[in-house]
Amino acid sequence: MRGTVVYVGQRLILIAVTTALVSSIVFVLLHQIPGNAFLNETRQSPEALAAALRHYGLDRPLPAQYLDWVRGVLRGNLGESLVNRGVQITPLLIRETSVSATVGLFALLVTVGLGLLLGVIAALRQNTWVDYVASSTAVVGYSIPSFVIAIFGLLIFGHYFYIWTQGTVYYDPGWGDWTQVPVPAVALGLPYASYVARLTRASMLETIRNDYVRTAWAKGLSARIVVLRHALRNALIPVVTILGPLITGIITGSVVIENIFGIPGLGKEFVTSILARDYNIVIGVFTFYAALVGLANLTVDVIYPLLDPRIRY
Amino acid sequence: MAHAAVAQPELELATYEVAEQVTLLNDAWRRIRRNRLALVGAVVIVLLLVVALISMVWTPYPVWLQAVGPTYQPPTLRHPFGLDQAGRDILSRIMGGALITVQVGVGSALIVSLIGIPLGLLAGFYRGKVDTAISFVINIWYGIPDLLVALILVFVLSDALHLIPRGVFVIIVAFALTRWMDVARLVRGQALALREREFVEAARMAGARDLALLLRHIFPNALGPLIVQITFAIPAAVLFEAFLSFLGLGLPPPTPSWGAMAADGYHGMDFAPHIVLAPTLALSITLMAFNWLGDGLRDAFDPRMKR
Repeated sequence: MRGTVVYVGQRLILIAVTTALVSSIVFVLLHQIPGNAFLNETRQSPEALAAALRHYGLDRPLPAQYLDWVRGVLRGNLGESLVNRGVQITPLLIRETSVSATVGLFALLVTVGLGLLLGVIAALRQNTWVDYVASSTAVVGYSIPSFVIAIFGLLIFGHYFYIWTQGTVYYDPGWGDWTQVPVPAVALGLPYASYVARLTRASMLETIRNDYVRTAWAKGLSARIVVLRHALRNALIPVVTILGPLITGIITGSVVIENIFGIPGLGKEFVTSILARDYNIVIGVFTFYAALVGLANLTVDVIYPLLDPRIRY
Repeated sequence: MAHAAVAQPELELATYEVAEQVTLLNDAWRRIRRNRLALVGAVVIVLLLVVALISMVWTPYPVWLQAVGPTYQPPTLRHPFGLDQAGRDILSRIMGGALITVQVGVGSALIVSLIGIPLGLLAGFYRGKVDTAISFVINIWYGIPDLLVALILVFVLSDALHLIPRGVFVIIVAFALTRWMDVARLVRGQALALREREFVEAARMAGARDLALLLRHIFPNALGPLIVQITFAIPAAVLFEAFLSFLGLGLPPPTPSWGAMAADGYHGMDFAPHIVLAPTLALSITLMAFNWLGDGLRDAFDPRMKR
């Protein structure tokens, strides 16, 4: 137990260091850009420009700007949008995170749920038509990028099934409204579900040949108990190891999915801000993402020993 | 070789069972030939290369030429894949996109290897402080959202600082800078294991220098898993380019990137789905081919899967 606490502590420090490092690099890179964020505003008097620069502290030397930014971040203040003056970034990003998380968690559910189900069924019916259908679906599904699934999801559900959906595949639900989430979440989760299915099948096949599983069958235990409690629990271990990269993939994938469906989450904000050259928001979203990816990976590593008592820190 | 030639007549007289001498590549080749999916993947990849080469000298219409017919025209005999929203021939653009895809894939594989292999070899071979430093950097790098950093890199390097013109090369650089760790980690592991093996020890005894040990003894023996890893890096790079171009942050128009073509067609998709269909199909089939070949190679190089 104490080992776990120390381990989590170390990891948290590493996450903080990584986040600080990469967001600082992004900060410096974006501030190297010649000119300034207001150059493309038309009909601007020199006084107004100077006032704007002063307002954002952009007239000060870079090290001073950097220190200001760090001080702000430590107090949870990511600054103000360059494009929409007066909009504070922290509350904006918190609201958008809740939207992204709704879709992301649902996608994770699709990935793990569907992946495990297909993988286990394929393994238990190895070399039958069920296995072939499941395996070949997985091998094809893994290669179709999520944005392709999203485009055709939009076409099918938003256009061909217009009578059912009234064209609304997605509208801003906020945290807790699940009704509009399925199509984007499936598009986001499906490629990874195929990957999980392949991995589960392989590791299930290896596990069910073990002596202890044969013993469990021989004892006359029900299929449900043998499969779920004896075989699946061990077969899950390799699957859990890829959960970290998988969550990173879902977070990254959400950037493109949110842009296709017009979901007002972090990913859409990221791309919109890059295109609008709103560097303050770009840095803010990026800092959020870096921390999020680190924390997701940490969560997975903490769950890991719960599943497999042989692993300790 | 001369040895075998002398021994052969005797072998034919006396029917001894002699274990066939197989090299790693021979063995892998024999096993991959039995894997139908991997073969299909290889055939598709060869086809992609051929189309890319042809597109360098000839496409039915220039890839940028607008209004060769009515806009949004569905497939016809003259234009087998139809025309897009600017009246450009989609077949020509798909061919041009194949060239872009090949450039991105090959370039990324090359640069990822150039960064990852030396770092991995150094870490695994010298261990100690060198390994600690390199492994620390690898671990830090794994903690960052790679594609998002790459996205920012493309933007900063080309649009903001004008260091590299916006094009295939900047995408390759951004991808490689954020995704070199897989190769480095793999090579490090291989080098760690191989440096303890007897043949490396023997070479060291014979007076081989470190560089010779690394290049002539350790690196060639790490090639199998390395090829597999690089085969999987190619579809990742291709997908990254499509992803960027789809968002409008990748290759500038009128470059016939498959991702950009999908983005072009997606606004008119309810009445002209063929514009989206062609590039997304081409992209998916290409990714699938590389994944199948990679799976096949992995099984072929895996010594636990003998025969």
